[in-house]
Amino acid sequence: MTSLQNPLGTKPGSLLKSGLTLNEYRNSVLERTAKSGFYNGLEKLAFKESDPIGFERIFSKVRAGLVNAREVAKKIAASPIVEQEGELCFTLYNAIGDCVATSTGIIIHVGTMGAAIKYMIQNDWESNPGIEDGDMFTNNDCQIGNVHPCDIATIVPIFHDGILVGWVGGMTHVIDTGAVGPGSMSNGQIQRFGDGIQISCRKTGRKDVPLRDYLHESQRNVRTTKYWILDEKTRIAGAHMIRDMLLEVIEEEGAEAVETFMYEVVEDGRRGLISRIKAMCIPGKVKTVAFVDVPYTHEDVHVPSTFAKVDSIMHAPCEITVNADGTWRLDFEGCSRWGWHTYNTNPTAFTSGIWVMMTQTLVPTERINDGPRYATSFRCPKGTWTNPDDRRTAHADAWHFLVSSWSSLWRGLSRTYFGRGYLEEVNAGNSNPCNWLQGGGVNQDGEIHAVNSFETAACGTGACAVKDGLNHAAAIWNPEGDMGDIEIWELAEPLLYMGRRIKTNTGGYGKYRGGLGYETLRMVWNSTDWTMFFMGNGYMNSDWGLMGGYPSATGYRFEAHKTGLKKRIAEGKSLPLGQDRDPRDKEFEKHLEPGAIVKRDKQCITTEEMFDNGDLYLNYLRGGPGLGDPLDRELDAIQEDLNENFILEEFAQKIYGAVFTKDDVGVYTVDVEKTKARQAEIRKERIARGVPVHEWMKGERQNIIDKKASLSVQQMFASSFYLSPKFLAEFKEFWDLPDSWELPEEELGTPMYGARITMEIGDLPDVTPVVMVEE
Amino acid sequence: MNDLTTNPVEVMGIDAGGTMTDTFFVRADGEFVVGKAQSDADEPSAVMESSKDALAHWGLTVEEVFPQMVTCVFSGTAMLNRVVGRKGLRTGLIVSKGFEDFHRMGRAIQCYLGYAFEDRLHLNTHRYDEPLVHIHDTRGVTERVDSKGGVVFPVRLDEARDAAAELIDQGCKAIVISFLSSYLNGDHERAVRDVVREVAKEKGVNVPVFASCDYYPVRKETHRTNTTILEAYAAEPSRAILSSLSDRMKSVGANYDLRVMASHGGTISWKAKELARTLVSGPIGGVIGAKYLAEQLGIDNIACSDIGGTSFDMALIVKSKFSMHQDGDMARLVLSLPLVAMDTIGAGAGSFVRIDPYSNSIKLGPDSAGYRVGTCWPAGGVTTVSVTDCHIILGYLNPDNFLGGILELDVPRAKQCVKDQIADPLGLSLEDAAAGVIELLDLSLRQHLRAMISAKGYAPSDFVCFSYGGGGPVHAYGYTKGLGFKETIIPAWAAGFSAFGCATADFEYRYDKSTDIGITDESTAEDKQAAIDTLQGAWNELTEKVLEEFRINGFGPEEVTLTPGYRMQYLGQLNDLEISSPLQSVSTAADWDKLVESFDEYYARVYADAARSPELGFGITGAILRGSVATKKPAVPSEPDAGPTPPEEAFLGTRPFYYGRKWVEAKLYKMESLLPGNRITGPAVIESDATTYVVPTGFETWLDGHRLYHLIEV
Repeated sequence: MTSLQNPLGTKPGSLLKSGLTLNEYRNSVLERTAKSGFYNGLEKLAFKESDPIGFERIFSKVRAGLVNAREVAKKIAASPIVEQEGELCFTLYNAIGDCVATSTGIIIHVGTMGAAIKYMIQNDWESNPGIEDGDMFTNNDCQIGNVHPCDIATIVPIFHDGILVGWVGGMTHVIDTGAVGPGSMSNGQIQRFGDGIQISCRKTGRKDVPLRDYLHESQRNVRTTKYWILDEKTRIAGAHMIRDMLLEVIEEEGAEAVETFMYEVVEDGRRGLISRIKAMCIPGKVKTVAFVDVPYTHEDVHVPSTFAKVDSIMHAPCEITVNADGTWRLDFEGCSRWGWHTYNTNPTAFTSGIWVMMTQTLVPTERINDGPRYATSFRCPKGTWTNPDDRRTAHADAWHFLVSSWSSLWRGLSRTYFGRGYLEEVNAGNSNPCNWLQGGGVNQDGEIHAVNSFETAACGTGACAVKDGLNHAAAIWNPEGDMGDIEIWELAEPLLYMGRRIKTNTGGYGKYRGGLGYETLRMVWNSTDWTMFFMGNGYMNSDWGLMGGYPSATGYRFEAHKTGLKKRIAEGKSLPLGQDRDPRDKEFEKHLEPGAIVKRDKQCITTEEMFDNGDLYLNYLRGGPGLGDPLDRELDAIQEDLNENFILEEFAQKIYGAVFTKDDVGVYTVDVEKTKARQAEIRKERIARGVPVHEWMKGERQNIIDKKASLSVQQMFASSFYLSPKFLAEFKEFWDLPDSWELPEEELGTPMYGARITMEIGDLPDVTPVVMVEE
Repeated sequence: MNDLTTNPVEVMGIDAGGTMTDTFFVRADGEFVVGKAQSDADEPSAVMESSKDALAHWGLTVEEVFPQMVTCVFSGTAMLNRVVGRKGLRTGLIVSKGFEDFHRMGRAIQCYLGYAFEDRLHLNTHRYDEPLVHIHDTRGVTERVDSKGGVVFPVRLDEARDAAAELIDQGCKAIVISFLSSYLNGDHERAVRDVVREVAKEKGVNVPVFASCDYYPVRKETHRTNTTILEAYAAEPSRAILSSLSDRMKSVGANYDLRVMASHGGTISWKAKELARTLVSGPIGGVIGAKYLAEQLGIDNIACSDIGGTSFDMALIVKSKFSMHQDGDMARLVLSLPLVAMDTIGAGAGSFVRIDPYSNSIKLGPDSAGYRVGTCWPAGGVTTVSVTDCHIILGYLNPDNFLGGILELDVPRAKQCVKDQIADPLGLSLEDAAAGVIELLDLSLRQHLRAMISAKGYAPSDFVCFSYGGGGPVHAYGYTKGLGFKETIIPAWAAGFSAFGCATADFEYRYDKSTDIGITDESTAEDKQAAIDTLQGAWNELTEKVLEEFRINGFGPEEVTLTPGYRMQYLGQLNDLEISSPLQSVSTAADWDKLVESFDEYYARVYADAARSPELGFGITGAILRGSVATKKPAVPSEPDAGPTPPEEAFLGTRPFYYGRKWVEAKLYKMESLLPGNRITGPAVIESDATTYVVPTGFETWLDGHRLYHLIEV
């Protein structure tokens, strides 16, 4: 092989001035960690224990610097995703790419940017292209740990006295990466090659100046160049502020103290997670599972290849083991295979993402770094959607699968909180935040444009064990929800709002109900060419509810074309405004001209569809799941739900057994006695309807033997069985199936393109992938 | 000295808090007195009682003093409390049809607004407050205006008529109208406003009507609607109270116009149309006072720091101007009030101190002991260590004269608590643990102070730091240490500085209007001319509003000083910067370039040169106009130099004092007895009833002729 030693690169071993290359040094840290069980062998935190105030002083300075840089830098951006939704984050790493501290923001990138640094270290960026003071590296490659291509990281090495002391990474979620479909999380493409521009830890700046070739190349590969370039400036400005901050802390506290700190703090973080787990959880195993749909045979899903035209289901079983020493293990044995869609993920994104959810519940602390990862063992079996063994996979909307699987983890954790008596911490799993309104074309200002609405950031939350979920409040990937002002979205999108209302009946029922979602009706307005598509779950529901609570309402789509609305406006006729309160009533259709083409169904994933001015699109943001038996709900709360328009009458009657009256101004009053009587009847009906579990299982077992399940369900299990003989064995044992029973994919007749022969990036010459999980 | 002819009392400030109503009066020679009275339901009576109490110090009566006063500024928390307690006027809301829920949805951010960082992460702690207007008092009217101000569908006034009738019939006492994009085109709102007024008239009821475009014509409907609702919900009741206070004062001979401190840093008449601007006033007073004091002393750039028991408030004054936040929030509501830019952190002189059980590290606040002081005051019932406990243990505060000796402290109890809760878990000595707490708190304040300065593109060496508030003099050395301020100044009246500041505020109105102006490389001279005309048009419109406000108070246009400003951005950005216009008015395309130049230069300073993006073009998103008239302000005391040695009667003895990891003997002085010119070298503690000024080893201080202490790091 030709030597890739760059004559201009850094001399090996010169970065640390210790004679060790970065890779050698990192390996030595990993070795000490593995041998001792403590990060970098730090059995004692000598600095923290001898000078807790000094340790805290450095932490406080670093942390304040990170938070401040994020707050200042985000104001540079033009994208509402960054500026209003706060989808940016800055993180400080030690020399080997382990996170020391992070700003607020999307905590998943603690891990993803760290993986990029580790990739550069492992693949000897040190000698080629070289790592020098003033360099900038850009990464958004999903094969190097990134979640999806639209998360762009700018990584800057930090030197002090000529020695590499750390790295700073800045990430923003850009609005478009030039994928086949417009928008940052699009789904028309099925392979990496249509997933948008992917930059692989490329050196994109020298001496603090971005390189012109990169600026030219990257801008012509995306649709929304203005957002792209201002996001770039946002990341660079923030990263440089943090570099300056660290150098100043070194001046004040001394290089040695800071270096010691940058490793001890990781071990400190590891211990922090352990003590939280000890406080909150119960040792033992919790098994959970999640599913979500990929309905691709529908005529409104256009994909380039027939082998992708399959209805499939994501399967995410997880076994959470809490060890007696406070460490834990999350094993995803039995997950289904990656697929020809944009919902695949990689182990770094998958495991880093889990911290996004954990920091909302188990570890809500500002002291988040790479330490907790060292107290956690993850297992993501090769070939599953959590760890694809093929380098062609697309990842643009990895979140579709990620959030669906986290919901079940949150439920699992909540059971252990409940067991420990922390009822306030219980959450029925939160919602699967969607729909993702996306599209593009030419906007109201005549520019090539793409949109990606983040109204999703404010879905209903899961019910708690002492209170209802919050309405329209947060997303599982961001507790600091923000639906954004309509007047801001209308600047960014040629989509006039025709309503924004709380979505009745969308919170899962229960003793404590889930938070309600909301809906916004949009009319295409002042665009020249415009497309949109839907992205969410419709046929299946991943947020199930807990301890008798119901799942939140499922998704559906509504779009309308040839609406005749211009005519109706001119004639002063009624208009579709506000709520689609009960979808069965088809309220919007009552205000369209005859001949309107309406799509109202459960197909919540579509690809680019043309929309004319006057066409309608309903963006329905989901509610959260409920907790506990609905018959235990306080009657006052049911009455309030009715009066606040949170529930449809029919469901108050059917689910809660409520008996009520409504006066002439529309105020509901629940009749206590009659309701109690009706609830007693419902309880009797339940007993009458009930079947002992073993009998029910008998029937189900027969269905399994007869393979009476939809093709998608069979395909899902078949792929899990193929990847995991262990899962197959457990499945057979649980259902007491005959030894001969099997379900090979081959017998199903669904396309198996890519199912057997795969090629990973590790198979490419000169590539050493970063592996941080058991596979 | 109390001769009203030669030394009249002309200035009065009122700080009507939830528990106490403070008044303070300033004489022409700068001497002042403070009065106190218990706040009660009858606010005007409390003010009069407090005034009597204050003036009694000089042997004067309200009847003697009020007729000669020329300035009286009110600030109070009643309006804020009304909002927080949801005890406002029942208000009806008319919005664009299809958007009836948006007010109660609170943009999602209102469920964690005002939370400390860790709780913002911690989802299960989030909660919404009740909306100001109930959904049953909300109605939709068919209409829509688009993002460029064009009418998509015209307003249907018959629906407005029905809505108004229903809201009035069901008991709403005021009606607010807020339509989408009305900041660009208010025709629909105004048409509905007139219909609602007609309906009210037909029904023979007096229901005030508020159209958002008449009040706060700025972008972001959640903010604009909240703010307009506050006009009806909270400000109308306050107006009634202020009217009655004004009458009470007039009945004893007052002939000044009662003014109220407003969030933009000026004072406005109680008759002002937009009284909700006075919702937030307390902490702003200090900034205004600092600005005024600095002007008297000839200082341009000041970093203001105000530390009370629960929070630390910071603000910057650059070239005698403070900067503004466009969308402030208050009482967990997003608002569109221009607010004097202040950074607040929830750590104060009384914050609780705990060890985080998960990381075994010191955690300060976010809650604080407040009036219950700490474990050192058993009667307060607090069992968690507070910062005050640490100060007591280290000898910084005098346990025998705490708050003038009204509280009896138990020092051994505090020591035991600090030992058990902090020192032992960390493996530190009692003193080192307590000193560590103080060091970390001061460090955190210092970081924030510095971040605020650097975030605006400056360095501390460009500033003089003013330190005030009850805790300011205790912490000043700690949070300024090593930052390199030109100087740190502590007024002897630090504890009453906010009230002082209110009385120094200008009589000033500020109005804002959103604009959509964009100019790129491709724009022609005609485009620039049109942009200039739009901006000047907006300034003209705002000028009319400002002059109208002053007209109500009897000021003619010739008495009003007008200061135009604008908000600019690189085209397409979501944020903008407020710029004080380099030109008093604009008329030619060439003027555009001057506006751009001012912005570009300021932007590079705030965000670094590399962040500049002139290639995108420039946009003006808002026009601003401030108008002010001259007012009488308190004099700053001026006393003769008495030399560097403090008088004997000022010296109170010594006390053990822990600093720099060792115990030393600090000299104690009585603050009131020190004289101008006196110079004191640390370790020393200067005590008064209201505050304690700590000068540790390595620092010295001297008192100037204006009763300002200068703290110097030696």
